[in-house]
Order: sequence, then structure tokens, then C-alpha cells
Amino acid sequence: MTDQKLIELVTQAVLAQLAGQPPAAPAQQPSAEETEPLADITDKAHKMAINIEHPVNRDALEQMKTKTPARIGVGKAGPRLKTATMLTLRADHAIARDAVFRDVDEQVLSDLNLFSVQTLCTERNEHLTRPDLGRQFSPETINQLKSKCESAPTVQIYVCDGLSSQAVDANARDVLPALMDGLKGYGIQTGTPFFVKFGRVPAMDVISEALGAQVTCVLIGERPGLATADSMSAYIAYKAAVGMPEARRTVVSNIHKGGIPAVEAGAHIATVIKTMLERKASGVDLQM
Amino acid sequence: MNGVSILSVGIDIGTSTTSMVLSRIQMRNTASGFSVPQVCIVGSEIIYKSEIYTTPLVDGILIDTEKIRAILEKEYDKAGITPSMIQTGAVIITGESARKQNASLVTQTLSSFAGDFVVATAGPDLESVIAAKGAGAQQYSKEHSCVVANLDIGGGTTNIAVFHCGELCAKGCWDIGGRLVQVDRQKKVTYLSPRLPAIMKAAGVSLELGRTADWQELDRLCRVMAQVLEDTLKFTASKLCEEMRTAGSSRLTLSRPVEYITFSGGVADCVYSPQEDWFRFGDIGPILAHSIRESSLMRDYQVIPPKETIRATVVGAGSYTTSVSGSTITYTDESVFPVKNLPAFLLGRETEHQCLTGNDRNLREETEWFLEQNDCDNLLFCIQDIDSLSYRQLNLLADALCHTADSALGKEQTVMVLCRGDFAKALGQAMQRRLLDRKLVCIDSISVQFGDYIDIGRPLMNGMAVPVVVKTLLYG
Amino acid sequence: MRLKTLLAGQVYEFHSIKEVLAKANEQKSGDVLAGLAAASDSERIAAKEVLSNLLLSDLRNNPAVPYEEDDVTRIIQDGVNERIYDKIKNWTVSDLREWLMDYATTEEDIRRVSQGLTAEMIAAVAKLMSNLDLVYAANKIRIHTHCNTTMGKRGTLSTRLQPNHTTDNVEGITASLFEGLSYGVGDAVIGLNPVNDTAASAAEILKRFDEVKNKWQIPTQICVLAHITTQMEALRQGAPTDMIFQSIAGSQKGNEAFGFTTETMKQAQEMLRKNGTGTGPNVMYFETGQGSELSSGANFGYDQVVMEARCYGYAKHFSPFMVNTVVGFIGPEYLYDSKQVIRAGLEDHFMGKLTGIPMGCDCCYTNHMMADQNDIENLTVLLASAGCTYVIGVPASDDIMLNYQTNSYHDASAVREILGLRPIREFEEWLEKLGIMENGKLTSLAGDASLFTQRKGGLG
Repeated sequence: MTDQKLIELVTQAVLAQLAGQPPAAPAQQPSAEETEPLADITDKAHKMAINIEHPVNRDALEQMKTKTPARIGVGKAGPRLKTATMLTLRADHAIARDAVFRDVDEQVLSDLNLFSVQTLCTERNEHLTRPDLGRQFSPETINQLKSKCESAPTVQIYVCDGLSSQAVDANARDVLPALMDGLKGYGIQTGTPFFVKFGRVPAMDVISEALGAQVTCVLIGERPGLATADSMSAYIAYKAAVGMPEARRTVVSNIHKGGIPAVEAGAHIATVIKTMLERKASGVDLQM
Repeated sequence: MNGVSILSVGIDIGTSTTSMVLSRIQMRNTASGFSVPQVCIVGSEIIYKSEIYTTPLVDGILIDTEKIRAILEKEYDKAGITPSMIQTGAVIITGESARKQNASLVTQTLSSFAGDFVVATAGPDLESVIAAKGAGAQQYSKEHSCVVANLDIGGGTTNIAVFHCGELCAKGCWDIGGRLVQVDRQKKVTYLSPRLPAIMKAAGVSLELGRTADWQELDRLCRVMAQVLEDTLKFTASKLCEEMRTAGSSRLTLSRPVEYITFSGGVADCVYSPQEDWFRFGDIGPILAHSIRESSLMRDYQVIPPKETIRATVVGAGSYTTSVSGSTITYTDESVFPVKNLPAFLLGRETEHQCLTGNDRNLREETEWFLEQNDCDNLLFCIQDIDSLSYRQLNLLADALCHTADSALGKEQTVMVLCRGDFAKALGQAMQRRLLDRKLVCIDSISVQFGDYIDIGRPLMNGMAVPVVVKTLLYG
Repeated sequence: MRLKTLLAGQVYEFHSIKEVLAKANEQKSGDVLAGLAAASDSERIAAKEVLSNLLLSDLRNNPAVPYEEDDVTRIIQDGVNERIYDKIKNWTVSDLREWLMDYATTEEDIRRVSQGLTAEMIAAVAKLMSNLDLVYAANKIRIHTHCNTTMGKRGTLSTRLQPNHTTDNVEGITASLFEGLSYGVGDAVIGLNPVNDTAASAAEILKRFDEVKNKWQIPTQICVLAHITTQMEALRQGAPTDMIFQSIAGSQKGNEAFGFTTETMKQAQEMLRKNGTGTGPNVMYFETGQGSELSSGANFGYDQVVMEARCYGYAKHFSPFMVNTVVGFIGPEYLYDSKQVIRAGLEDHFMGKLTGIPMGCDCCYTNHMMADQNDIENLTVLLASAGCTYVIGVPASDDIMLNYQTNSYHDASAVREILGLRPIREFEEWLEKLGIMENGKLTSLAGDASLFTQRKGGLG
């Protein structure tokens, strides 16, 4: 290094320090690899990997992994989880919690042309701890429903956030129209659909009574599991009434991409409702 | 209703022997009360095995249809069943191709005799798979997570299928069998297979009809045959291997080495328990078995006993040819079932995805072409690439299929659709709205391949699902 | 009986023992939901003060549900040893707490006094105890039970292997089972929560468990946790089971909501005695959880700790092999956050042990609770220190069927190592034979489920 260069560097460093900045490191272009994000630890390929170095039978482990979605073949660090397994678990949990604690996308509701009403719960935390309030509406809300919805429909369908707003975002746009089409195909009349915020399943009983529906069907977000936060259920009842036994509800659960696909679920629910109307029964009284 | 069982028949008409089994296939809705139903085959149980008959032939070549029918009538009677009780099953005509010239006639005759049951006839590859399943090779590979090859060595052919962890990974058929040469008590040659000259040449042996064969000659011949099997499993496919491969069979290509072998077929019994009397059966079966025992097959692989030997194919035909559709399906009219020999028209990846964007030109052209090529009035639209659909895509696909059906199929034809992905109920409902009064069947969760034919049985368990047989037709 | 106290100059007056008990509870969202909780922290402490001065006889004489109406009450009251009760009936609840803490009080003393206690007394004393008190007192008590092996000895921490599957696929269940065994999990029981509550499905899974148990000669117990009547039907059809399971509640009405009666329970026990595969004498398995009575409207205005204690009094009558609370499963409306779950876990374990039952814990949480993996790991270490009989193990904490998280297959061995605990001796010897465990630690071979697919011991 020449003296000239040395002086230059020293000057630069001193100037930078005076400006309150650390001396500039020699400029280095980040490699292409560094600009790429790390691989997604929540994706399927990552979860299917066998993290055991020398298994007795790798084929057998791979085979086992195809038989169960459980987190097997993950290996260990001492007695503990490997970092990747632990972080994937935490990531899936974080996604599940986010699905519970956020609101349904307004765009989804407007795409489906759904107006919104709210139960007696005023905020998310109350929704989680007061299931009794999540099944009730104020008299004003009931009046609003009565004025905006067709009265005494054969089938009243509505969408509800339940315990996963994300499930509504992921499925409502496919389930709801497929279901409405299916019923239309069977010549079954449907009422005005809407959206209920902070709702629990038994809110459907209040809605059924308020609107005088023969069959009431709620498409509601399920409590998220780690496998998916997208799972939706349909609870359906013939002449639902406040205080009726839980056993009178028919449930179609596990509606999501990895379970029963949304459009197929909509078609299936239409058939279930058709049978329900024919047999004038639901739940355990309706052995499908 | 949580479960049903259906009665299935398997009939194997081989080069040398004919047999029948009856099995009860148990199906159950394995879904919980809270989910969409899922009817699955949960087990099968063989409830009757016929005697093993020598396949009756006319002029030593063609299958004697009438005699086969008489055999079956007798066996049905002994089993205490009538044809109307049978709900599914398969007839398989196996072995040397010469015997198959009248296969079409045989299956037609049996079909009318047996009433309703599904009649299939296999190509060499399917035979290999069916025999291996009947021998238990698939199950063993699944339970032990290993690679198992089953060699079903019959009179005219050796059918090989290889399973890895329960999944089929290779299949093929070779004209190697115990009855390629037949001799009488005096070792005089009474029959020589037209496929034999290549082997004789390789073995440096020349047999002639009517001439007495000596043991050494036959032994040399059989060693060459065993060598063909050794080479085939090791993929050192010699020219002779290629030459002896049965017409219409696949080549055996393997991505991982075979670990275990099961032998089935008539010759298998002699492999597992050697015959003292070389000419007991009037053929080279016992000598071929001896050559196999002496070959590297017994040293290089672990040889395990099969669940069935001579009956592997018939058990496979009776118990493993029927599958069940998804449990959310659409059909408008139960009277269209059973549907038989429906050619599978695979739309193909590109056309399927074009349909999802509202472009159905290719679909229409290809449908017309397929009908013309196959000289048929109807076909099965098979959608194999699409996994799942949005509501919008569903409607575009329904549009495409319905337009095509309207323009390409006669008004009286039922519109038939099969998907691999689980969306047949939604697609069926969407199509039904468009087709109005026209008959429609739309089922899912079944994989098919180019050239397959499909039989669909009557709906099961309150119409939740239908039994399906996917097959290759030998004739047509 | 005084139901009134002064606290910082303010008078707090309660109207009933029921109210005192409820308000003396540490805060639980379930008590808030039921409208029973103290309105303020001060009121809570005032209630604790009043409770500490109540006599054990006051509590005996005021069961949560009247004797005439409820067979849970009858079973508990009729089970009291009157001679022992006479000696302690004039103790205050505070006396009982300090007696439990006393250096002079031995395990044998506690076991004896336990015979004179009712559920309401046990709940009451738990309400006066801090978390460390609950750990300290519970640690004095070990309850031994025997089905095929003996569980609960001092120095052991056992595990239930829970190989649940989303569709009850037997191969999938077996895969999780092998994975668990390879981590040394499963000395308490191999127990599956089925999706399908049918005898055929339960029988199919039990058959597989039995095959694996016999093929690999595993010294443990097997069970499928279907409804009690389903398990009885499976047993009738010849299915092999070591134990019968049922979720229980603290009142007859609660048990009826679970779809069984005391008579059903007796029949199940009798069937197991005749046709079960377990040696016994302890052949029942129960699960409980704070809040279940409220969810079925069967709490009779009592708080969830009292109702939970009554479950244990009922359970004791049937000499179960194992009992555990599924502490965080019920959701935030009953136990809001990790603080409440940890408290409930420690209370339940202590109350179970004081009752005299082999108490374990499913340290778990759902995704809509304010809790995460760290919290239940805390609870696990606390409970193991308290001498908890067993915890649960599932693959990497994620129960794919029940949609909640509990302990991983990995957790028990770490906790055992930290606290110097071991699995049941016979099970440990079996693990050593297979090369999975050595000197109380997992070997490098451990964690490889394909160990169990080797041909020598494999299925088929």
C-alpha cells in the first residue's frame, strides 16, 4: 500500500467518524445467493424431508411419512428437537394464531356481495372468552337482518368468521356460489346471504328463528390447527331453534385445499340440504 | 349404513390351466360423522376356490368357449351362487398370444352367461400386476418397505411385476414358460411353441416334433430360459431377452435393485418344492423350475414364499381389479349402470388447462378425432392433471365439456366424466345445470392411463360411490 | 361458620360456602364466564381468608350437589373413612394446608388422611396454596397402580404415546407409534384418540397395537379412547384391550352428558376382568379437565376447581390405572392464558394425588389461547418436579387429529435427564435391549422409527 493510499483511507475514516458513521467497509456486491430469501420452512417439501442421518431403512421412513401428516422422521439434537423442526412448529403456530386474531378481508365480502352484522361481542378477545355473547344479537341487529333479508326462505345461508377469519378468506368465494348453484340446480330457493362477525355456531339458531328459515346453514371458520388455518365447516340444521340439542346439527367439516376442496364441499352441502328438506330432519335424526 | 361387501369373481384362463375364485370385497365409509363420506375398500376375503382345470382347447389352439362355460356353471353350482349374485370381477385370458385369438368371443360368451358382472381381459402388463398382487408381493413390499419382484411363471409366459414400498415400479412379460415344449411319457415331443426357435438356437439344441428329447437337451434349453429371467431382473437385457419379450409388454426398467423375489404360477410350486418325476406334467415345467433353482436368482435375491402360487392370477383378478370411486359423485340415472368397456379419452394437460381459461376448441377437435379413431359412439372424458378448481374455473370446465358433448356425442348418449382430483360432485352439478335432461355420470378419485378401458358398476352404499375396473383390452 | 371478613378496612361478606369457594379461586376465565369469579383481587383474597377458617366438616356437610340427587356425591361421601374423618373434621382448611406442608407429615400420613377427605375439602385446600405449595405437597405423594406394569414409583416419569391420525389410518397410526417408541415414549400406555367412534374401527386399531406389543414384547398397556360403550362393544367382539377409557365429569349430570352412568362403568370393569388383556387390578383410564361441567351446564353454580376435584373423588372409586387432566384443551373461555393453564395443571395434579389417584397431565394448548410451546414446557418441568405420574407424547408436539399441541416425543427424555427420572423399569430395560436408551439417556439410535421395520421383529 502506498503512503498516498494510506492517507486517503485514514482521511476517509476520520471524516466518516466525524459524521458519526462507521468507516465504510470496502464495497462488496452481495452474491446472488445472498439476495435470495431462505427456503420456506412451512412448505410441504420441507415437512416431507427425513432429518435422520443414518436411518436403518430410509425407504421405510419415507413410506411412513406418506401415511401420516404427523411430524415424524424429524430426528433430534441430543434429546431435543432440531432447530428446523422447532421453527417450523413455531411458524405453523404463528400462522394459526394470526388466522384467529385478524379480521375477514373486506374485499372477499364485497366480492360476494355480503353485508355484515355483528354479535354482542365488541372485540376479538371478548369473542374468544365469551361464547355466550357470540351467539346473541342486539334487537337492532335482528331488525336489520329482518329488513335486509328475504323472509321465510327455504334455505338461509350465511358466512361467519368463527375462529378463523383466514378460512373465510380462503374458501368463501368458492363454497358459497357452488352451494347456491347446487341448490338452484335442485330447484331449492335460498334467502339473502350475509356475514356475521364474532359469531359462534349457535348464532344460527337465533338467525333461523328471526328469518323463519326451513334450513339454516352457516359457513364458519374452524379453530385453526397447525396443518392448516384455512379449514372451514358448514353447520346445517332443519328448523334450527334456540335451545335445541346440539345433536340436531349436521356438520360438514374439513373444507380446505388439503381436505375437501371448496367447490366440491359446496356441491356436497347442497345434496345434504336437499336430503334434509326431503326428510324434514337434520343431525343424528338424518342418517346420511 | 357403514359398510357393505360385494361379491367378486376372478376367472383365469391360462395357457395350460383354468380356475375361478370368489371373493368378498369389503367396503366401508371410513370418514367420521363430521366429514364428507369416504368409501374405501377395507379388505377382501376369498370365499371359494375352484378346482384347477386343464384349459379346454379346440384344435390344440383356440379356447373352447362352450367347455369353459360348462366348467363355470359347475363351479358356480358347487359354490352355491348364481351369476346374478356377482357384482364385480374380471376374466383374464393369459398366456401365449395364439390362444387369445378368440378371446373376444370367450369374454362375450362369459359375459352373457354371467349376467351383470364386469368382464375384463388383460394385456401382458396388467396380467403381471394382477398376478403379483395375488401372490402378495405388493403387500410384502409395503409392509417391509422393500423392493419385491414377483415372477409368475406359467405355461406360456413369465409375468414380472416389481413393487417398491407397495408402489408398482416396473412390469413386463416374457415368453418363458413350462409348456413351451410338451412331451409324452416316452419323452417324444408333442408340441413346440412358435417362440422356441430363438431359445433353441441360443442353447444349441434342436428339437423336432415327434422326436424323442433327451434330458440334457431340455435341461440346456431351460437353463437358457432361466438365464433370460436373470438377465431381465439385472437389466443386462440381452438380445435374447428382447426377443423373448411378449408382444405388447413393457420393458422392465428399474430405478433400484430388486431385493426379494416371489415366484407364482404353475411352475412356482416346483421351484419351492422340487418334483421327483420330471415328466409328470408332460412338459418342461419341472425342468425349468430346476434350472431356476440352480440359477443366480436363488443366490442374488432373498426368495420368499408367495401367498398364492398357481392361483395368484385368479386371486388377483378376483380381489384386486376392482377399485372404488370418490364418495362425492354425480349421476343422473342409476339405470345407466353397469357401464362396460368405455374407452378412456385423456384430455391431456394442455387441453385441460385451456378449458379452464374458456377455450374449448382443442377439446372439441380431439373428442371428434378420438371417436373416429376408436370407431365408438361414446367415451369417458378423463381429467387427470387438474387437482383442484376455483368456482370460476369449475364453470368454464363445465361449459367446455357440455359444449363438446352437445356437438360431438349423440343426444341419447350419457355424458361420462372421470376426474383424478376430488371435484366430481361440483363439476357434475355444474354440468347438469347445463345439460338439463341429458344423462350424466361424473366420478372422481380414479387414475387412468392412455389406452385404458373402464367398467363402472352399480352405485354402492346409498349411491355414495361406484365400483370401477380400469383395464386394458386385448382386442378391439 | 363465618362467611365475613375485614380486609384493609373493608368488609367482605359472602352468602354461601359455594360463593366463598368460587371467589377464592385464582382467576379463571371459566369462572368469569359462569358469573362466579371474584370481582376484584381484594375480594379474591378476602374469600381465601374466609375459606382458610372454614372447618373440614363445613365442607363435608355442603357438597356441591345434594347427596340424594347425584351419584358422584354419593360415591365420594360413602367412600369416606369415618374414623379418620372424625379426627380431622374440626381442622380448618388452613390447618390442612399447613399439615400437608409440615416436615413431620409423611407420605403414609397423607395417604391415610386422604381416606377422610371429600372433593370439596381437597379443592378448598388447593385454593389456599401457591404454585410452589402445590408442587411441594404433591411431591410428597406417589400413587402406585398396576395393569401390565407398575406405574407411579418415585423416581419415574412415564409417558402416554398418543399416535393420533386424521383418518384413523392404521398404517399412519403405526408410523407414529414406531416413531414414539423409538424415542422411548409409551411406558404408561399406547393410547389413541380415534376419529371414528365405531367398534369396528376401535377393534382394528387395538388389534394392531396388540400385534406390535406382542411382536416386540413391549411391557406396556394399550387402549383406544373411543366412547366407553364403543370400547365395550369392541371388547365383546373380541378386540384385545388392556384398559377402558372414559372422560368423566364432577356431577352425575355431567357424566350423563358424556353418555354413560355409574352402572356402565361397573359393567366395563367387569368385562375387563373377564375378557381384557390387561393383568390388573387397575384397568380403567380417565380423563378430566376444568370447565367441562360448565360446558354441559352441569356445574350446579360451582367453580371449575371444585367440580374438577369431584371428578377425582369419582375416579378413585374405580381404582383407575391412570387419570389425567387435559388441561389446556378446552379453550380460552375456560382457561384464558398460560398463567391460568399452568395454575390449573398444578392444581389438578395436586388434587388428584391428594385424592389418591395416579395423576398425570396432558400439558396442552389450543391455537386460540394465549399460550405457546414455551408455556407448556414450563408446566411440564413444574409437574415433573411435583412427581407427576405421566405426561403425553405426540410427534413434535403437534396432535394432527385433536388440533392442539401437547408435549413432543422429545420432551420426556429431556425432563427425565434434568430431574434424574426414569421410565418404568421394565420398559427401560426393553429400551436398553433395543439399544434406544442407555444409562437413562437416549442413544444415537433413538428417534429412528425404521428400527421397527426390520424384518426380524417386523409385522407380517
